[in-house]
Amino acid sequence: MRAAGLAGTMLYGAAIVWMYAAQPQTVAEVTGGFTSTIGVYRIDQQAFDDGLAFFRRDQFDEARAALARADPAGRDALTQFYIAYTYYRQGWGRVYNDDALFKSGLAAVDRAILLAPDHRLVVDDAAIGIHTADELRAELQRGLTHDASDFNPLRLIRPRR
Amino acid sequence: MTPLREAFVLPCLFLTVALLGGLRLGADVRLVPPPLIALVLAALLLGSLVRSNVVAPVRLLSQQRSGLENTSGGVLLLAVLAASAQVFNLLTPDTGLLHLLVSVFFLVQLLTTLTAVRDRVSMLRSLAVLLGCAFVLRFIALESLYSPGRGVMKRVMTALMEGITLGALDYVPTGSTTGYVGFLCLSLYLVGLVLMPTMLTADRGGTLVSLGQPAQTDELYRHLPALRGE
Repeated sequence: MRAAGLAGTMLYGAAIVWMYAAQPQTVAEVTGGFTSTIGVYRIDQQAFDDGLAFFRRDQFDEARAALARADPAGRDALTQFYIAYTYYRQGWGRVYNDDALFKSGLAAVDRAILLAPDHRLVVDDAAIGIHTADELRAELQRGLTHDASDFNPLRLIRPRR
Repeated sequence: MTPLREAFVLPCLFLTVALLGGLRLGADVRLVPPPLIALVLAALLLGSLVRSNVVAPVRLLSQQRSGLENTSGGVLLLAVLAASAQVFNLLTPDTGLLHLLVSVFFLVQLLTTLTAVRDRVSMLRSLAVLLGCAFVLRFIALESLYSPGRGVMKRVMTALMEGITLGALDYVPTGSTTGYVGFLCLSLYLVGLVLMPTMLTADRGGTLVSLGQPAQTDELYRHLPALRGE
């Protein structure tokens, strides 16, 4: 009885400490956090496929909605990578980038890096030009930096990746 | 005290208080960890609770208990400390001059209690009044004064107060739902304290009775061998 109570108390205490550290905003984030801790968190594969299809058709708002539905707790590195990529492609501009979208993309790719095993994420997808989370992060950061190279006329012919 | 109460009920109650005490349900959900002053106040409160026989550490940690029992008792004491810290975190405004004023008020009140209150029932009553008053001040008076849809008079009053204190008297309302959660949290905390094991001794007839005054603890130690069946 005492041993079971002690174990239950320890688990409850650890869960409280985790919640204060992670600051979950929704019930889905709480349950997702706990299930991913014990390795049983699964994304909604159908919603993920829908999101990917929207992404490839450049329907970024729709893609984000579907990807957010696929990973409501924000615990899947690959889904967070694609969410970041939607922000990148939507915010990318030949003359200037949308800083607000790039900042959201940076937050999403940071989550992806944090969640990936050993913080390394490589995505084998022919439809995208950036295949690692580190490159995407650097690209987003470059987009948010304002310096003399912004006035380089060659920027107008750079490709969107 | 039954093992069920010591190992399940009380830790669960106090850990729930520790969880809910920092919960702020406003525009977004926040879990606010206790500031340092809340830990200091919690330590003082725990001292007062021990002194007034609301919490009896000897019933939770002693040589007569096994290692597992002592661990369980130690965890319960830690849970009481965490819950106490979160209760102060709940009742103290998060920032500004009001945070300082309420913290100092709690500190003085607890020091007074620590030196003056020796009786379990009086301590519980005193604590209920103290926490109840602080709850009314924060979640009824301040929330009403600083609520977003307040009237002209309230806006003038708060503007005057902020003007007099050169802007230091600032308060960010936490939303009415936080008040309900706070009420539940305080109720659980007080129920948990009432359920805590107290010092017991045997009267002349062999019946276990509660000792109200710490002066009688000597009598307990005289009766301990009898209680242990020696």
